[in-house]
Amino acid sequence: MNPATPAHVLVMTLHYAEPPSFSMVEMVLLAICIALSAVAFFRRFSRVLRNIFTARKDPGFHLAPIGKRVWDFFWELLCQAKVIRERPLPGLAHAFVFWGFLAFALVSLNHFAAGFRLGVLDADNWVGVFYFWFAAVFALLVAVSIAGLFVRRFFVRPIWLGRKVSYESGVIAFLIFALMVTYLAAFFVPSTSTMARGLWWAHALCILAFLPLIPHTKHLHLVLSPITIFLSRGEFSHIPPLNGDEDFGLVTGKDVTQLVALQAYSCVECGRCTEHCPAANTGKILNPKEIILGVRNYLNDLGPHSEEPLLGKYNSQEAAFQCTTCGACEFQCPVGIEHLPVIIGLRRGAVNTGAWEDDHGTKLFLALERNGNALGMSATERDKFIKKQELPIFDGSQEYCLWLGCMGAYDPQGREIIASFAKVMDYLGTSYGVLKKEKCTGDPVRRLGNDLVFQQLAEQNLEIMKQQKVTKIVTICPHCVRTIAKDWKDYGASPEVEHHSEFMARYQDKLPKTDGPEIVYHDPCYLGRYRGSYDQPREVLARSGKVIDPPRARERSFCCGAGGGLAFLGEETGERVSHVRAKELAATGASVVAAACPFCNTMFRDALAATSDAPPQLLDIAQITAQTIAAQPVATASATPSNGAQNA
Amino acid sequence: MKIIVAIKQVPVRDSSLHIDSSGHWIDEDDLSYEINEPDAYALEEALQLKEKHGGEVVALLAGPERGSQTIREALAKGADRAIHIECDDLASLDTLGIASRLAAAIKDEKPDLILTGLQSDDLGLGQTGVVLAELLGIPHATIIMQVEAGEGSIKVKRELEDGWFQHVEMPLPALLTIQSGISKLRYATLMGIKKAKTKEVRRISAGDLPPAAAATVTLERVYLPEKKKETQLIEGSPKEAAAKLVEKLKFEVRVI
Repeated sequence: MNPATPAHVLVMTLHYAEPPSFSMVEMVLLAICIALSAVAFFRRFSRVLRNIFTARKDPGFHLAPIGKRVWDFFWELLCQAKVIRERPLPGLAHAFVFWGFLAFALVSLNHFAAGFRLGVLDADNWVGVFYFWFAAVFALLVAVSIAGLFVRRFFVRPIWLGRKVSYESGVIAFLIFALMVTYLAAFFVPSTSTMARGLWWAHALCILAFLPLIPHTKHLHLVLSPITIFLSRGEFSHIPPLNGDEDFGLVTGKDVTQLVALQAYSCVECGRCTEHCPAANTGKILNPKEIILGVRNYLNDLGPHSEEPLLGKYNSQEAAFQCTTCGACEFQCPVGIEHLPVIIGLRRGAVNTGAWEDDHGTKLFLALERNGNALGMSATERDKFIKKQELPIFDGSQEYCLWLGCMGAYDPQGREIIASFAKVMDYLGTSYGVLKKEKCTGDPVRRLGNDLVFQQLAEQNLEIMKQQKVTKIVTICPHCVRTIAKDWKDYGASPEVEHHSEFMARYQDKLPKTDGPEIVYHDPCYLGRYRGSYDQPREVLARSGKVIDPPRARERSFCCGAGGGLAFLGEETGERVSHVRAKELAATGASVVAAACPFCNTMFRDALAATSDAPPQLLDIAQITAQTIAAQPVATASATPSNGAQNA
Repeated sequence: MKIIVAIKQVPVRDSSLHIDSSGHWIDEDDLSYEINEPDAYALEEALQLKEKHGGEVVALLAGPERGSQTIREALAKGADRAIHIECDDLASLDTLGIASRLAAAIKDEKPDLILTGLQSDDLGLGQTGVVLAELLGIPHATIIMQVEAGEGSIKVKRELEDGWFQHVEMPLPALLTIQSGISKLRYATLMGIKKAKTKEVRRISAGDLPPAAAATVTLERVYLPEKKKETQLIEGSPKEAAAKLVEKLKFEVRVI
């Protein structure tokens, strides 16, 4: 870095310019600034850490399998896949800022090291030249991106970011922008100039001003969300087991676990959860973001040892019970917050202690206690249906146990679905039988947080499974599938279970193919987001017609409003979730609406009739398949598998 | 206010019932049991009175070992303790026999109020509460819809026939038999069940109580309702036949 000839200066100015040396006074000043910034940062951050670390340990948490964690960390964090996929433009802008931060890590460390004459990157050797230019590319991208995000937040103002404008976000955006400008500008000044020194100091002070702003704003996600994503509960909507005789779910601060606290502090307030929440979109008071922020505010004000109830000042009980557990929030969250364990945890706290008083809820609980089914019908009604339909009884010799579920056994429409699916199984020559006795899987009480009734139902059913030696279950209800596959595990090993769409998809080549009508398919939450089965039902439907998607499909599917036990609770406030979705399905112009869940089916039956004068036909995928089979020309029909009639 | 609630365990509603080989009782294998429904409302009323006025609720049950499940549920819903008279011979006793056992088991309790369900879902005699009150020498009122507790006395609302009600004020201690469906039942909670584990259940063997008086009423035969189909052909001219039909509908079938 010698003083140079004019020609040399020109070349030099395209190098990153750092002051060649710093005086003792500057070094002392810098040390003081760093110390002040660090103290301010840690004073705020240590309180956050204390609230996380001193919270209750998470029962049942284990790190294994580590591979999935590493992948999620790579894909969701390093690749920013979720951030980009769900909101492409702002997502990409955010990704550039994030990648820019990564690229700048070395530059920033070197920046401060240089201030103490300890810099390692030298703008004169090729490593330094390469890296400073490499960072410069990112600096440009970051500057453009952050400016774009600033415009979005302060001028476009999508309502998901909240009604109140976050001024800190403006300050932070300005600091980031200034960091990039001061860095880029240093390429255009000689390193010995006062300008270079000024830029150097401006850059350093921006970083030091930025640090203390992190712990008490949403920018805490910079520090915490990588950890949050890595330390997920391991599966979608995982409801942790209760731990000992004093654990009733999330009742007070003492019940807040380390993961809940970590996640609450990680929230970046982007509002993706709110944007996709069926409750928040139909005029309910529930807003999943506010639930998480409510927990955060509680921790900030009272800490994780308070005995104040969590539901009350900080979160509303009414909101917690408006959740359909569709899981759109948890699915969307880019920082790894798991909303469902929190919302269901709050419900558990309210129900397990008796704090939730709701006539419909009590009626449901008593019906499940007494009758063992959510519809509160007598078990003899189920027997009558089995007899009338001539369904074979499972005796251990058949391959499949056909699980009816409450809807399949008691609901008129659900019974039609069972009858149709039985025809499909007969056609395919599958051996199956239905259980003589069957209780509700406990899905509605599991999601409403009634652990007592859920445990009773799970244990009773597991006992039946053991007695009857059931190894494989197939059912028409995604809620049953999820509950049997995941939730029963707390009380014993459950049999293999699959949804009828998955079953039929495996045999799709044996199903007849016709050019049928346009069919719009609605992804049930518990089949899609909960289980990842998006293609199977579509493949099955493709044998019977042309499958089209509504605007919100697959991972973004919009709930029918029935989940989370809400099908059994009272009238909704605001607009009905089912009506919103029914209108969307009808607007596709398809002549058939295909459902793959008896709860969706029952919700849309009413909603389609209420929202449309000439509603499309509503059918389950099993009904559509059974119709296609029945409509086959006789010649083809005779070619059906020869053992098809054995189960009839 | 100290309240004793007498509860009974009965087969779950809608059970498919079979008569046992003796023909004197139902086959109890494979049956599930639950609290007698009117007793559930008696318990609910007791819990609500306790919430309003303080005091203690004691559940009282006579029956075999399986009854402890129903006791646990009562404790889980909020009863403070329970008394279980263990006996396997309920079906062979009449209401006097059962009431005298209940009376003997609580003779040292000195409750302010005793509540029972109006009747049981299995036998439906509706006498146990009344006889118990007589044995204890306290006043009683039946088919109670509403209870208002005052100082040393209560006001109750009785259901009479045909939409009529009777309001009665009576001194304490007293016994009330509670009508089904008068309030909203609460659901049992996990916290309640956990707490119930630590609550006291006093077990009394029926043998330790004074022997019950010989049953004055015995069960002759237990049988499922028999469906009968009877066809009568009414002969005569249309006018005569019509007149006969009207007469039969009026006085035999009593539908018009």
